[in-house]
Amino acid sequence: MLSDLRFRLRALFDRSRMERELDDELRFHLERETEKHMRAGLPHAEAERLAQVTFGGMSRIKDDTRDSRGVIGIEVFQQDLRYAWRGLRSRPGFAIAVVLTLGLGIGANTAMFGIVDRLLFRPPAHLSTPDRVHRVFARYVWDGKERAEGSFAYTRFLDFSRLTRSFDRIAAATTRRLPVGSGAEAREMNVAPVSATLFDFFDARPALGRYFAPDEDRTPAGAPVAVLGYGFWQSRYGGRADVLGKSLHVGDAVYTIVGVAPEGFVGVTEEAAPAVFLPITAFASSRNRTYFQNYSWTWHDVVARRKPDASVAEASRDLSAAFAQSWELERQLEPSLPSAAKVNARAEAMPVLQSRGPEVGRDAKVVTWVMGVAFIVLLVACANVANLLLARAVSRRREIALRLALGVTRRRLLQQLLTESLLLAALGGIAGLAAAQWGGQALRALFLRTEDASAVMTDGRTLAFAALITLAVALLTGLAPAIHGIRGDVADSLKSGRREGTYRRSRLRSSLLLFQSAFSVVLLIGAGLFVRSLANVRALRLGYDLEPLVYVEAKPRGVNLSVAQANALAERIIEVAEATPGIRSASLAISVPFYSSEGRGAPFVPGRDSLHKLGRFTLQAGSAKYFQTLGTRIMRGRGISDADHATSAPVIVINEAMANAIWPGEDALGKQMRIGSDTNPYMTVVGVVENMRGRQLTGDAEFWYYLPIKQYLARFGSLYPYAFVRVSGRAEDYVETLRRRLQPLMPGESYVSAVPMRSLVSPRQRSWEFGATMFVAFGALALVLAAIGLYSVIAYAVAQRTHELGVRIALGAGLADVIRMIVGQGVAFAAAGVAIGSVIALWAGKWVEPLLFSQKVRDPLIYLAVAVALLIVALVATLRPALRATRVDPTVALRAD
Amino acid sequence: MSNDRLDLPQGTLDLLILKSLSLGAQHGWAISERLHQVSRATLQIPQGSLYPALHRLERQGWIRAEWGASENNRRARFYELTRTGRKQLETETAAWDKLTSAVALVLRMA
Repeated sequence: MLSDLRFRLRALFDRSRMERELDDELRFHLERETEKHMRAGLPHAEAERLAQVTFGGMSRIKDDTRDSRGVIGIEVFQQDLRYAWRGLRSRPGFAIAVVLTLGLGIGANTAMFGIVDRLLFRPPAHLSTPDRVHRVFARYVWDGKERAEGSFAYTRFLDFSRLTRSFDRIAAATTRRLPVGSGAEAREMNVAPVSATLFDFFDARPALGRYFAPDEDRTPAGAPVAVLGYGFWQSRYGGRADVLGKSLHVGDAVYTIVGVAPEGFVGVTEEAAPAVFLPITAFASSRNRTYFQNYSWTWHDVVARRKPDASVAEASRDLSAAFAQSWELERQLEPSLPSAAKVNARAEAMPVLQSRGPEVGRDAKVVTWVMGVAFIVLLVACANVANLLLARAVSRRREIALRLALGVTRRRLLQQLLTESLLLAALGGIAGLAAAQWGGQALRALFLRTEDASAVMTDGRTLAFAALITLAVALLTGLAPAIHGIRGDVADSLKSGRREGTYRRSRLRSSLLLFQSAFSVVLLIGAGLFVRSLANVRALRLGYDLEPLVYVEAKPRGVNLSVAQANALAERIIEVAEATPGIRSASLAISVPFYSSEGRGAPFVPGRDSLHKLGRFTLQAGSAKYFQTLGTRIMRGRGISDADHATSAPVIVINEAMANAIWPGEDALGKQMRIGSDTNPYMTVVGVVENMRGRQLTGDAEFWYYLPIKQYLARFGSLYPYAFVRVSGRAEDYVETLRRRLQPLMPGESYVSAVPMRSLVSPRQRSWEFGATMFVAFGALALVLAAIGLYSVIAYAVAQRTHELGVRIALGAGLADVIRMIVGQGVAFAAAGVAIGSVIALWAGKWVEPLLFSQKVRDPLIYLAVAVALLIVALVATLRPALRATRVDPTVALRAD
Repeated sequence: MSNDRLDLPQGTLDLLILKSLSLGAQHGWAISERLHQVSRATLQIPQGSLYPALHRLERQGWIRAEWGASENNRRARFYELTRTGRKQLETETAAWDKLTSAVALVLRMA
């Protein structure tokens, strides 16, 4: 055993010496044998010949001896690698084509893997035993619908901690956008209020100082201490150690810094890395004094770690029992609640990753699809490379046959050919990593909320994945051509020479080509669908203009403004904003689409019952220039005017969807309704405006109604005002100017934020945008690959048929005949690809449809466009070989070989 | 070439090498000569096939090799049996005897 190992090691590391010794040994043998024959009377030359004959094939014996020494694998591999490398160097065009093709395929997959891994598989950094860590979701039936709820009241969290038995750790955590820092330095950042128990889920020490302790996180109010996020510590404090003990303004309170979280630590959030971690009780008490006594404020996630001996099912049962008990405790506070049994209250231990919980977003679905698409691109690339290698294997037939005749075993030859494809795949893998690094940056920016998404090159999991697919690619591309290459009769190949008697179409190559064109068609159809869908999303009229709108939010901090003061501040904001150069108009508002909306329940309309069954109604209040500022079209009647003040007749403006729902077939103008309670005065409908979207881009039309802000304030009191500002040009260009001009108006520690409206809507369009971008990119890639494949196959066929073409031309075939014959072949491939691809696309379409925005999957226009595109590509790709075919000189072709 | 020469049955070459080394260290050519002479040229052993076998036996630790001076004072690689090699020779010889006598028995009786 030991000697064997020593022998192998020596053979491996002392290769050149062993090789020399083997030479010496065999030469000694031959010399002695020659001497023997000479002694028997043969002349030297004859004796030498005889010695060699009785000895057998030298190279074969050397090979066998090396084999029997054991390390054969690695040693021969090195040798094959050198051989393959020389082979590639001698044909750089071929090598570059293959490496680029594979690089693009591998790169696409590596980049996508990074994202899919992040979204679906990789647990939060530093989390210990991630398999046992769960996010808690509650399920209950409400309004006849089952709901899955991942957000809980702190009181519920206390109940869970007290009532469950199958967990050894349980924690509450959430994130909020809060102002961090004070005065002009204040910036909105992601802040994570978490329970002290959360840190026990992780096995990383703080980078500096300490985490906060359980006695700093207790009801009614936790200690004002803070742990900084590593990134924030670096960017704001330059990573200085003296931050400990400093105070930091977060939200409405001042906290003392006691520690810095380790690098990469984000807690359990999947959003941007938090700048600061606060004791959740300290944060909660600044918002709501009774947060631990009732269940009305549901606002944070609950994560729990299962005991090693508890199964997931047991843990869920335990949680369900606790949730039902907790529900009953809530019912004691609010007797109007139905019983836990009636709503079928249950709870579940789900994976800690949100995208694997019950609320799988469209993002995760689209990403999964795009990953599948990337995989298809890789397959197409492999088919392409396999095709090129096949062509090469066939043209190397003679060389291979020669080597077989010289005694190289088929197994060795197979190894050698596979080594070549492994080398190609490895080079492709390197190119792929480079592509992933470069293209992945853009992808991650599109898709991941975490700003610190790690780079491809330094990420072990991504590198491992890249290595794995590289290996798979090597096998996939190498096996068929290699087997194809060494098959066949040696003597036959040697005799037939370069040109085979007649042109034979390779069935394998044809099917690879068909596969390629079919899947390019599928991807292109997908691209078409997503592009049209994105166009639909973009063209969607939201009921307001997006590009020129900025919304401004005043965020009072550390001051208690009276109603009058708050309203005066709001007025000043409008005045100053409107006086800013480049600003068209401004209006106050109480709701911001896709951000914050004011629901006041359904309005009361005489003679109409249960209007709440129609859907959700959203209340907006605005100044006189509201509709003008937002660009909302007034369809009938009038908008809000300056004349609508606190004491004038109460008026209301509603949108078309609401008018049609409440008074179908009637004129809404002049109708009466009231809101809030039935003691409020009736308001007269004075205008109907276009529909608008502020909650969802898809689905039923939303009901919005609008009050003059002065009448709203007079009846419903104070406001937390937002303002809309319409600029001339792009909103982005005015954001900083507005912020700087408005900030001086803010009292005390208060601050103001200005955000382009587009940034609220864009994230909602992201999955469509991403789908369209990626499908187009990958579809184009597949098309290019198909074109290369088609070109190489046809060009090869032409080269092989030179003889036959020569005969045809000699017999009088015209130019047009030859071109028609060659191009026809390419077009036939493309047409078959279109047919097969269309069938696959039709079949796969039903799964894609939910991801598209009002776009039917069976769009004949798209299918037609793709078919035309592929046929044109086929024409172009085959034209060059066809032209070359016409230049075949019959005398040369017939005389050759 | 006469027709009464035999191809070596699979796996017996190792046994023959071990046997011819049991008398002392020898180099490859000498082993080949010895097998040729002792078998009175009935065994058909391609000389070259000896070397893969020698290296395989060396790897298995049954023989060991050393460079030394040959009869005519040239550098040659000498092989000799190791202790495990000697044991291996005994067991293989016993197995061979058993096999041949069993086969012979069957051929006589059946």
